[in-house]
Amino acid sequence: MHQATAQSSRIEEFTAAAIQAVATVQVIDRSPAALCSAILQAVGDASRVLYAPPQELPAILFSQFAADPRVRANATPDEMVNSAAGVTEAFAAVASTGSVCIDTSFEGTGIVSLMAPLQVAVVAAESIVPQPRDLFRADVLDGRGLKRDFVFVTGPSATADMGPLVRGVHGPHKLHIIVLR
Amino acid sequence: MATPVNPADINPRQVANKSDKKALLDAIRMTLSVQSPAVRRNTQTFNRNRYAATALLPDYNELKDRARQIKEKAIANLPELLRQLEASVRANGGHFYLAKTAADADQYIRDVLLRHEVKLVVKGKSITSEETKLNHALEAAGITVAETDLAEFILQVADEQPSHIIAPALHYSRERITALFKRKFNTDLPLDTGEELTVFAREKLRQQFIAADAGISGANLIAADSGSLMLVESEGNIRMTMTLPPLHIALAGIEKVVPSRTDFGTFIELLPRSGTGQPLTSYVSILHPPLKAPSFAAPGKETKPREFHLVLIDNGRSRMREDTVLHEALYCIRCSACMNCCANFETVGGHAFGGETYSGGIGGSWEAGTGTLMNARFSDLCTGCSRCVTQCPVRIDIPWLNENLRQRMNFEQPSSAAKSAFAAMTGSAQEDRVAPLQKQFFANYHVMANEATRFSSLSNVITSLPLVRGLMENVVGLDRRRKLPPFPPKTWEQLYRGRPSGEQARAAKSGSPDVLMFADVFTNYGSPERGMAAIRVLREVGVNVELSDSLPDGRAAISQGMIATARQQANALAKVLLPYLEKGTVVCVLEPSVLAMFRSDYEHLLDPATWEKFARASFLEPLQLVLSIAKDQGLDLSQVFRASKSPHGMRIFYHSHCQQRSCDAAWQTIEILGACGFDVVTSSVECCGMAGSFGYKREYYELSMAVGEDLFGQVRAAEQDGPRTLVASGTSCHEQLWAGMGREVLHPAELLVSTLG
Repeated sequence: MHQATAQSSRIEEFTAAAIQAVATVQVIDRSPAALCSAILQAVGDASRVLYAPPQELPAILFSQFAADPRVRANATPDEMVNSAAGVTEAFAAVASTGSVCIDTSFEGTGIVSLMAPLQVAVVAAESIVPQPRDLFRADVLDGRGLKRDFVFVTGPSATADMGPLVRGVHGPHKLHIIVLR
Repeated sequence: MATPVNPADINPRQVANKSDKKALLDAIRMTLSVQSPAVRRNTQTFNRNRYAATALLPDYNELKDRARQIKEKAIANLPELLRQLEASVRANGGHFYLAKTAADADQYIRDVLLRHEVKLVVKGKSITSEETKLNHALEAAGITVAETDLAEFILQVADEQPSHIIAPALHYSRERITALFKRKFNTDLPLDTGEELTVFAREKLRQQFIAADAGISGANLIAADSGSLMLVESEGNIRMTMTLPPLHIALAGIEKVVPSRTDFGTFIELLPRSGTGQPLTSYVSILHPPLKAPSFAAPGKETKPREFHLVLIDNGRSRMREDTVLHEALYCIRCSACMNCCANFETVGGHAFGGETYSGGIGGSWEAGTGTLMNARFSDLCTGCSRCVTQCPVRIDIPWLNENLRQRMNFEQPSSAAKSAFAAMTGSAQEDRVAPLQKQFFANYHVMANEATRFSSLSNVITSLPLVRGLMENVVGLDRRRKLPPFPPKTWEQLYRGRPSGEQARAAKSGSPDVLMFADVFTNYGSPERGMAAIRVLREVGVNVELSDSLPDGRAAISQGMIATARQQANALAKVLLPYLEKGTVVCVLEPSVLAMFRSDYEHLLDPATWEKFARASFLEPLQLVLSIAKDQGLDLSQVFRASKSPHGMRIFYHSHCQQRSCDAAWQTIEILGACGFDVVTSSVECCGMAGSFGYKREYYELSMAVGEDLFGQVRAAEQDGPRTLVASGTSCHEQLWAGMGREVLHPAELLVSTLG
């Protein structure tokens, strides 16, 4: 009961911070059908969706989504730079900043999470840690943050170099985060 | 003097190197005329955001302490860490090269690229590559370099040096970027919004990313234990630079190395917050290259195996490490907080307050360390206001670095024998007598002021004569447009001792007051009435206070880089104060810049045992003491000082002094004025722009007034619904507000005394 309350308040803190960073957040039940419907809703009428299969979450969760004909798990170079959306898992997330942590050492994750205008990240609620610094502790998430290549993603890409703040520069223009309860 | 060219026609590159003072002065004119609005808007946005973002960190101070410790240890063990790092990078399958000089680094990178037959290289932002002038070296070898950070892209198009360490083109307004792109790309595309400009640049650069054979990045931190890098960005271009091409070269200074990847945990909390003021920027990459995932092959091309080179440059850093003062600059994590909270930087940016690569308060040490001493001449724009010391995530004492650079530059260009003779007369320390006459003059303010106040009415007539002002301008560089505050007929000491009440006489005789009021030279010779008001306020709340003798404290000297003189004065003064400190007497200091001397600068000037006694002693701004007494004794200040009785009215505009804020001694005044019933609007500027002698100097008068304009604007805004009485705590702030608003400025103590009838 305590654990459940702690988790839901951490999800709330995460959601508020992510929205502050101009991401969108959706909290859903952990099922293939719910995940498939959430992702497809997020990608809208994208004609092609890049997809890097998960290394942490069970692949079965993504099975229904992966069966959609628009999804490319092994995209060609041309598809990699010409797709509307990219979907990956996040092995961790940060409550205080609303960040998701994407492992970039697996095949494709770095590019799939970077090249398309819409980035979708899927993260398990129990992988949300309180602060960025927790990713550099051996006793948090089994010290995974100390061993891997990864990127903290906080909101879409942005710049103020052209005068006013512009969202959507080289990287994604939008970030949608799906939290699995 | 030659006819000055139109400042708008001065090219930033022409005035990047400021070893010639004329370049510095031209750069100030150019930036004030062209860049100032954009620089102000952007740096002040970063500044506000940083205050907000760091306030949300409950353990901000502990994090800063830890960051400082990590850097101190890392720089102390640097040779060992570099050996460890080399082994880590090689174990990861990468290459490691330690370049002695900038040219070495450029040659190595060029050779690697040529070996791989690279035609096009994409670059993420790397200020270190600006230091080595890498782009020129590569272009000379026939390699096309595409800067992909939008700010660096602008600079590459414009051929300018960076003006800021994290936003290198923040001196460009949107309008100027539009004009630049239209001119350089000869295009009719609509480029009138930030979005349109971004789309234009992105589409050009997307093609480069796809076609590039290699990527060059910098690194914010490097961990020796694992060869891990941390890179902070928002645009996604650094990720692309490291992810897409098969060949990745990271270039960084050796000072970026920390012992362990676990150390990243401290810096990831501090670096983005201290820079842009975001909790995190869009992307913070953690990697130990070469990446395991395959590289991107452009459509129709083969995927190539990945290769990684870490190129670290020394280029003077080992010499800095051996330097007893400059080694502190190696702790810098290049966040830009010291620039964004600096009033002078906010007004002119890094093209004036900066050199060929590095800028701002910390920039002088970097330019001197990686180049030559005189390249640091722009560090003259550091007024020592100390705002940056409180904002630096690794607690670097930046004013102290600049005061030392100033001293070394004084030695480098020794003054004539005649000037040295003048210096001897004023009591400058032997080794400081080489300093320029202007510096001797301002450093020894108390000597001049002492003479002037002896015959104050005559002095005031003489110093108002145009001929005399002309002479003063030509000989010591005191700007003739600056109205000089009149010398008072009596000093603070004379006012205090001349008419001793019985009580005063007793206190003076006993020699054991509860509180010693220090008679700083600025108040003593410049505004004794403020000093008397402060004593009156303390007595009203029951303090047994006595005035000290007036002695120079070293502030004026240290600000001119005359450290030996400051040290002499500090030690002489310490002898006078020590008996009080040893008895536990509280010392009140009215002038905040002197309070800051006792609280922190004296650590550099006194021997460790004496400093220990200063560090343990209680030095307070007088109203700090008043508030703590009121709180301890449950005293209702509104019954002592009734705002409604003040002939100055109840509507107040209050500007606290920069060093007062750095000493955490400003909010108490605001609380007291509010408690007494005043309606107080406070300024939010970092510094008024006067900063002691700075605003009096002929060469900096315009800059000083431009900085002051922010403050004057805030006064005008606060007075839209009716006038307010101007109140300020620092001597300089009084003079600046007086100059800018053309009316009387009170000290908070004078305002409180005015309520007593």
